[in-house]
Amino acid sequence: MSLVRFYLSNSREVLGLLGQHVLLVLVSTAIAVAIGVPVGILLTRRPSWRRPVLGLANVFQTIPSLALFGFLIPLPLLGGIGARTAIVALVVYALLPIVRNTYTGIVGIDPAIREAGRGMGMTDGELLRLVELPLAASVILAGIRVATVVGVGTATIAAAIGAGGLGVYIFRGVAVVDDRLILAGALPAALLALAADGLLGLVERRFAWR
Amino acid sequence: MGGWWSRLAAGMVLLSSCGHRERIIVGAKNFTESDLLAEIAAQQIERRTGLPVERKLHLGGTFVCHEAILAGQIDLYVEYTGTAYTAVLKHAPGPSADSITRAVADEYRNRWGLVWLPSFGFNNTFAIAVRQADAQRLGLQAISDLARVAPNWKAGFGYEFLNREDGFPGLARTYGLRFSTPPTAMDLGLTYRALADGKIDVIAGNSTDGQLDALHLVALADDRHYFPPYEAAPVVRGAVLERHPEVQRALAELAGKIDDATMRQLNAQADIEHRDLRAIAHDWLERTLP
Repeated sequence: MSLVRFYLSNSREVLGLLGQHVLLVLVSTAIAVAIGVPVGILLTRRPSWRRPVLGLANVFQTIPSLALFGFLIPLPLLGGIGARTAIVALVVYALLPIVRNTYTGIVGIDPAIREAGRGMGMTDGELLRLVELPLAASVILAGIRVATVVGVGTATIAAAIGAGGLGVYIFRGVAVVDDRLILAGALPAALLALAADGLLGLVERRFAWR
Repeated sequence: MGGWWSRLAAGMVLLSSCGHRERIIVGAKNFTESDLLAEIAAQQIERRTGLPVERKLHLGGTFVCHEAILAGQIDLYVEYTGTAYTAVLKHAPGPSADSITRAVADEYRNRWGLVWLPSFGFNNTFAIAVRQADAQRLGLQAISDLARVAPNWKAGFGYEFLNREDGFPGLARTYGLRFSTPPTAMDLGLTYRALADGKIDVIAGNSTDGQLDALHLVALADDRHYFPPYEAAPVVRGAVLERHPEVQRALAELAGKIDDATMRQLNAQADIEHRDLRAIAHDWLERTLP
């Protein structure tokens, strides 16, 4: 109940932080898709790159966020403090599920289908565009879905580098030992994650019909 | 029958009190300095009294340690007078150092039977810190000098400092501080890096933090005495001191032995040179109290 009162009396701040949070997740996931899907496709063409690239994405995943921020602060283009650094970190964390699912989705296609496409005289580009990507779409989307949902939670660390978001309430609550403040940040973040999951689940199911 | 039961009960009480008397449990909060001071206290008790000491270090924040000592889960830990005064006892900051120390000692004894022993001798206050190069170039020595350059500067503070009763809002009022943009809220540890790398120009660190020297930062003097004193001292359960007065005697030897610079060096040995806490405590004790 006191949480409701808190939201009512701080509605502008809450909406502002929520907006920042959504923006952080959207931008970082979009960039991660723009990098991760092509990289995943590339891996299906260059099997020997699979191990090192997925290994690297795995390693990225294990870097603690504060340590990552520490490394990023001095970097000229990617670093500093604020939203840019937070987005770089979020992209780094989102890459693994997207790259991995893109690769797995395409590799998992029945070789006979691919052969049939080749038999029809398709070029590699056509095969990718007309056969492989549509068939792998639901698996790739599942990866993007995981990355987004995890990203909503991870984006709370943006507050550690001055980038705002719902993490601000969590950090503030922890600092002054106020459970209500911690909840004020954690609860909407959890709801946001559920909403993102549901929405992308719908999209995923649509593609699964094809 | 009744006699048998009461004898059993008495025996159990005796047993449990014997079990308790066997060792002293030392707790600490979840940061280096607290762990280090707890280790120093633990080793001092071991070498002077021969009592076995159990360590429960890095427990959590102020409240975890406070609850633990009230529940008898730990027998002592190191607390700071200003923190006890504002955060535990919930008083508004303001009074002088002496009256805070006295008020804290009185209230802890009366309310919880906890005893504040004499302080180690340093004051771990908030350190409004800038780069040494800036301080030299612009002649900054005190926080009131900062007001002059602040309009062109960026500040970055930890969440605790931004939201504490004795934190930034009051500081800004006291010194008339206005920065070019509102201070960036970020993780305390990262503010040191961001300051050293020139991303921000002023931070609020801890005055005994080893990183200040290592990163060539300098703390400005609190010339208007805004911050309450945060003198570190062991807080011990009174019952333990009654059973073992030798513990009090052992810890009293530590009083006034660690000044700000010494604490910074000890912290630096742990945080920057990554030496083992036990070794740091052992070496310091051997040197200072042979």
